[in-house]
This record gives sequence, C-alpha cells and structure tokens, in this order.
Amino acid sequence: MKKPIQITLFLIPAILLVLIFIYSFAGWSGWASTMSWEGLGGFGHFTGLKNYIELFTQDSVFRKGLLNTLLLSVAFIGITIPLGLINAILLDMGIKGKKLFRLIFLIPLSFSFVVSAAMWAWMFAPKTGTINSLLRVLNLGFFTQPWLTSSSQSMLGLIIIYVWQFSGFATLVYFAGISGVKQEIIEAAKVDGASQFQKYLRIIIPLQKIPTFTILFLLLMYSLRVFDLVWLTTGGGPGYSSEILATYMWRITFNRNLFADGASIGFVMFIMSALIAVPFVVKMRGK
Amino acid sequence: MGIYLLLFALTVFYLLPIYSLINTSLKPDSELAKAPIKPVSNPTLSAYQKAFNRIKDNMLNSVIMTLSATALSSLVGCMAGYIFAKYRFRWSSIIFFCIIIGFYIAPQSILIPLVKFIGALGLYNTIFGLILTHTAYGIPITTLLFYNYIKPIPDSLIEIAQIDGASVVQIFTRVIIPLSLPGFAVVGIFQFTNIWNEFLFGLTLTSGTSSQPVTVAVANLKGTTVAAWNVHMAGAAISIIPVLLIYIFFLRLVIKGLLLGSVKE
Repeated sequence: MKKPIQITLFLIPAILLVLIFIYSFAGWSGWASTMSWEGLGGFGHFTGLKNYIELFTQDSVFRKGLLNTLLLSVAFIGITIPLGLINAILLDMGIKGKKLFRLIFLIPLSFSFVVSAAMWAWMFAPKTGTINSLLRVLNLGFFTQPWLTSSSQSMLGLIIIYVWQFSGFATLVYFAGISGVKQEIIEAAKVDGASQFQKYLRIIIPLQKIPTFTILFLLLMYSLRVFDLVWLTTGGGPGYSSEILATYMWRITFNRNLFADGASIGFVMFIMSALIAVPFVVKMRGK
Repeated sequence: MGIYLLLFALTVFYLLPIYSLINTSLKPDSELAKAPIKPVSNPTLSAYQKAFNRIKDNMLNSVIMTLSATALSSLVGCMAGYIFAKYRFRWSSIIFFCIIIGFYIAPQSILIPLVKFIGALGLYNTIFGLILTHTAYGIPITTLLFYNYIKPIPDSLIEIAQIDGASVVQIFTRVIIPLSLPGFAVVGIFQFTNIWNEFLFGLTLTSGTSSQPVTVAVANLKGTTVAAWNVHMAGAAISIIPVLLIYIFFLRLVIKGLLLGSVKE
C-alpha cells in the first residue's frame, strides 16, 4: 500500500488549488484587515484591530448589515424548516400526482438567484407588479403594499423570496429522511392503532433530527453568503433597510474602494462561516 | 380535502412567480402597462428575440466556462476523493477535512485577494480566469462527493489489481474511473448547475460582454423603464433553460447530488 510519490501526485492539484484559493486568500484578507488603507497609496501600516473596532462601534451600516443577516437567517430558516417538512410529508402521504408536486416543490432550486431576483422584483413592483395586480383583480385593492420599495417591508420581501428559493432543498432532505424511516417501525405503530396523523407526529417527525440539523446548517451557510438575491432586488435598500453583510462587503469594497474595510468584513464572514461549518463537519464526518 | 387545498396554496406560491415570468416575457411592449396578472392576449416572441440577441454571446461564454470548470473540478476532485477514500497516510484525515471545509467558506472572505490574483495572472476579464476560479472553488465539494462515491467500492477490487502489479494511476484509470462513472454524472450535474447559476465571481472578475457569463448579462438587462421588463424576463427565461432541462430530465441525479453533498451516507 506504500506508494507515497504517486499518492502525492494525485493530491497535488487539489491541495494546491485549495491552499491558494481558499487558505492563502483568507489569510490575506485577515492580514489586510489589520492594515490601514491609504486610498490610491494602497495598504499603509499595521493598525491591529482598529478596522474591526471602527466597524463594530462607529459604522452603523455594518451593524445594520450584521443584524439584518441574523434576522434574515432566523426568519427565513424558521419558516423554511416547517414548510419543507410539510411538503415532504405531503409527498409521503401518497397524494395523487406525487411526481408532479415533487417537481413543483423542487423547481425553484433550479432557478439561478439572478433569475429569481428578476422574477421577484417584478412580482413585488408596487404599481406594475404581479402581487398587487392580483390583489386588485380580487377586489382587495386596499391590501396592496409597497413591498420592496418600503424600508419597513423590504426585509419581509426578502424573507418571502428566500423561502421560495430554498424550501425545495428542505423538502428534499426531509423527504429522504422520511423515506429512510424503517418500515417495521411504521407497521408496528399501525398495529398499535396509530392514525395517519399520529404516525407522523409521534414516530416520523421525532426521527428527523439529522435532516433538521443538516438543513439548518446549510441554510445558515447560504444566508451568510448569498449576495445576488438581495443585490438584484432591494440592493440593500431603501436606505440601508435591507443591507446584509454580503452586500455591504461588496459595496464598501468595489463601490467605495475601501479595501481594508472590505477585507475586514470579509474576514468577519470567514470567522462566521468557520464557526458554523467546523462543528457541523466534525459532527457529520466524525467517528 | 384539506390536503388538496393545501397543495393548491403551495402550488400557487411556487408557480405564481414562474407564471408571471413567462407571461410577461411573451408580452408585446403595448401590453406591458396592462395588469400583469392577466394572461397575455397577443403573445409574441419579440422580447425573446431582443433578449437573445443581447445575451447570446454570454450564453456561449457560460457554456465554455461551465463545461470546462465542471470537467476540470470533477477530474481533480475524483483524483483526490479516490486517494482519501482508499489510502491512509499521515495527516490524511486532517488534510481531507481542511479541503472539504472550504466548500462552506463564504466567498466574500476571499473576494479581494481573488480579484488581485486573477488580475496579476493577466486573467481579469477572461473566460479562463473564471474557469480557473470555478475549478478551484469546486474542489472541496467534488472531492467530498467522489469520496462518498468511491468509499463503498470494495477494497478487494483494488487489492486484486495491486497483486497484478497495477500502480495507483492504473488502478485509478482501470478500476476507479469505470466504477465511478455514475458518480461523474452526479458530480457533473451538481457542478454544472452551480457554476452556470453563479453570479458573484462573474460580476467581480469581468467587465464587458467578451467574457461575462449569462447571469451577469441577464442582470444587466434590467432597465429603468417598464418597457424593458418583457425583455428582462425573456432573457431570464432563456438563461435558465439548460439547468431547467437537467432538472426535468435528470431529477434523480440532481437529487442524489444534493443529498450526497449534505447528508452523511
């Protein structure tokens, strides 16, 4: 089994690419976040944690972005998990047209965030949008909303878009989890006289801890990194009402050319990703 | 009955935006001011024609970028996944862990050095720069997927090949690759859909039609006037056709990839 040279040759491409593109780059962001930024002069001198202290204490948009990122995660994941579970149970119940509904539940997953953003921007448009148009046709005109153009509703709009985009993923994982429950357990419950409703509530749902954990983790990861769904719908606005870390990082780096601050936000996001990912991967792969 | 009412509500939620997209994309300019919920009365493909003319070069860029990066990242991931699944050596599980954790790192944390690096290589605004980038960031997940795929291949097959004097390379080409062909289908589809749909790298590493992927071109179709909405929607619809076809014809492989990438087997 000892073929060290051949093994090394097989691993070199993967290790080299990951080392350069992920670890050295993340390290660079960490380094840049401790430097001063001199505009056209590039990076200046070492400033320690000054950039971070300024972000957390003086930059209200950064704090808003952090808060919105957390709010968006909690709200959209809080809806997506039960919705995905309901969808998966519906598919498991032997409904007519199961294959068609499976496709309907999963189809948003295939949409790129760019296309979803275009579509939902049109859905939510206040005067010309589909939702308000539907309300008017149903004689519910008094219920029309400004949606994404209002700073009090922009986050709500994003939550709806995220639920639409990601609930197919939760459905998929739960459906696999439900299908994996052993038939004997279900048969035993039926013999004991459990109704369909009890079967799901008492037997199947309590066995979905790993799927739930998986969905929670992956959606957390997405809510941290996704940029396009927000950038191309609300653009973080109106004002900064729906700014998230991903959009603020882009804005401050490529619109304002503040590279040290951009690197600092990027590095904060690196730490957050690692804090989410390391325990998950250890738990899922460990043993 | 309650169940079918629920299914109806869910169907409306999932399909109304898609209806809205298609309906708007089929409208002539003259109908854009009418209530968007009402079906188009004189459907036309003129918005599709306009959109296609504006994004066809970008579609080609995306095809080249996606196919190349999918193939490269699958190959490199298969090589690494095979070694981690079948050989133990010092630090092997830690190196494996460090590679696959890369999948979960938010791209914003590497974005600035990435732009500088691609620029320093002279690859800014080139398709090759995007291929390199997507290949590199594909490696964690392709390695993980192939690891999951190759792990169950019986060690005895490899041992027999070894007794016959096969090297690591020969075992790879004669045993592992033929047995993991279904794995290549799953990983290939996973990577194709991800890379085709990607926007942030495309936006950051290009400026102009010569190398922009279709996602960036579609985002740029968004006009400031109402008149552009049908073209924007038509462009959006055109841009997702390849991925949509994959979902419709290979749904089982898509599902397999998504599950293998997230749930422990």
